[in-house]
Amino acid sequence: MPTQNLVETHNLTKQYGKIRCVNAVNMQVPPGAIYGFLGPNGAGKSTTLKMILGLARPTGGSITLFDVPVNEKNRMKLLAQTGSLIESPSYYGHLTGEENLRIIQTLKGCSEKDIDKVLKIVRLQEARGKLVNHYSLGMKQRLGLAAALLGFPKLLILDEPTNGLDPAGIQEMRELICSLPGAYGMTVLVSSHLLSEIDQMADHVGIIRKGELVYQDTLESLHAHSKEQIALRVSHMAIALDLLRQDGIEAVQEGDYLLLPMVDDAYVANLCRQLVTQNISLYRVEKREKSLEDIFLSLTGKESSL
Amino acid sequence: MITLRAEFKKIKRKKIGLTMCALIGVQFVWLLWSGSRPDENERLQGWIEMLHSLPLVSVIMMPTIMSVLASRLADVEHKGNTYKLLNTLRRPGALYHAKVVCGALFILAISIAQFLFVIALGYARGYAGHPEWKYYGTTFVLNLACCLSLYLLQLLLSMLFFNQMIPLVAGLGGSMLGLILMYVKMYSFLPWGGFLSAAQVNMDWNPETRIIHLYYREYSPVELCAVAMIFIWIVVFYTAGRLLFTKKEA
Repeated sequence: MPTQNLVETHNLTKQYGKIRCVNAVNMQVPPGAIYGFLGPNGAGKSTTLKMILGLARPTGGSITLFDVPVNEKNRMKLLAQTGSLIESPSYYGHLTGEENLRIIQTLKGCSEKDIDKVLKIVRLQEARGKLVNHYSLGMKQRLGLAAALLGFPKLLILDEPTNGLDPAGIQEMRELICSLPGAYGMTVLVSSHLLSEIDQMADHVGIIRKGELVYQDTLESLHAHSKEQIALRVSHMAIALDLLRQDGIEAVQEGDYLLLPMVDDAYVANLCRQLVTQNISLYRVEKREKSLEDIFLSLTGKESSL
Repeated sequence: MITLRAEFKKIKRKKIGLTMCALIGVQFVWLLWSGSRPDENERLQGWIEMLHSLPLVSVIMMPTIMSVLASRLADVEHKGNTYKLLNTLRRPGALYHAKVVCGALFILAISIAQFLFVIALGYARGYAGHPEWKYYGTTFVLNLACCLSLYLLQLLLSMLFFNQMIPLVAGLGGSMLGLILMYVKMYSFLPWGGFLSAAQVNMDWNPETRIIHLYYREYSPVELCAVAMIFIWIVVFYTAGRLLFTKKEA
């Protein structure tokens, strides 16, 4: 059945022995999106991406690329429209950056002119004649991205592309990735274990936890989950709770605070007056916002490493 | 052809050709040194004597040369962690095939150089008559097949292990084993013994007269099986290597 998405997985599962690393993942990457695949270390991000690229064989489920179900026969044909950078960059250290790209260009069968173009995009023109063994990690990472860009594929799959980079390198890589859909019409599927990174790059997000996709939607929708609340700290919680219930406000006690949904300023002022009238000491009135990080932690579990 | 072209691009600056020249050069020095001043009798037996020496030189040198060649070709992938990239660009089977063909071309070059040198040396030393082309041709083909079987074995090991010391030690061990097996006459069905199984010349030594008589041999049915084993090893190692390459997950 034709779909609208560039990448779709259906109950994609991978099991190593008794351990299920990826469990029935249904990923949907729309065309032109930067899809941030977010999850703590060891959640199953790389395994999922490897299965999409045919580098690991799924234990169960199926994958659809460009509306075509992937099988052993059409895998290479479909991957010809894909560029990838999985974990650390792959390179031949004894060759120059340009020679490395020439090998990839030969294997991809794309135009030689692409080499100059991608070197310019990743800003490696000046280092093109330098041996890759002499490159910094950031340069190697950019060379990996250049290799993925060769042939200007429709889909780019990047697994933690900012790993090991310094803050300037991270910023540079992020800008580069963000520019790709607009400049070249590419769809980018990028994984990371850093929420802030995905928040700054992606427009769609999938959150994976212990092999299961626990959230998938636009980043905008994820932000919408960050609801505001009013927190009250008073001397007599029970009386204050009764007061709120009489007004039809559903409040919950969390530690020393009463949490009530966002109400207007007039109601807050009136509530404060009533509390004081009933000899209840009012210590604090705070406005609270559930951050994106709180949502991420509630989805992935606080014990997970960020 | 595309993957093979890429294979040759990958080994630029690895000086594989130079390394092979150096190792084959040791063989040339050995051959130059042995029988450097032949007398009249040795000149008469020169061509056959040369064909008798060649498997001995090969059984000692070739396993090491093959391990170096395979290790150099596989190591470029290990060091740069490139399998996961290559497997998204070309079918793993095609990538393995390119490595095999690339190595086989080096082996062909080595074998041609070895035989050209032997023939040139024979004429330079003034050996009587001309080489027996039938036996020299057969030795060339079987030598090539032995080298290929050992290369495929070494390629398998070099791809399997990240640390290239393991296949290199296996190559050196193979050289030693081939030499030892030669003395206990148990070489026939082992990949390192192929050079000796394929030898075209036998030696008859009379302890009383102390005269060595060399003669071209005809294979017995058992010896023919041993020669066939060389080709069976090629099929076994090629299949195992291809399976390993295609089934391996990145």
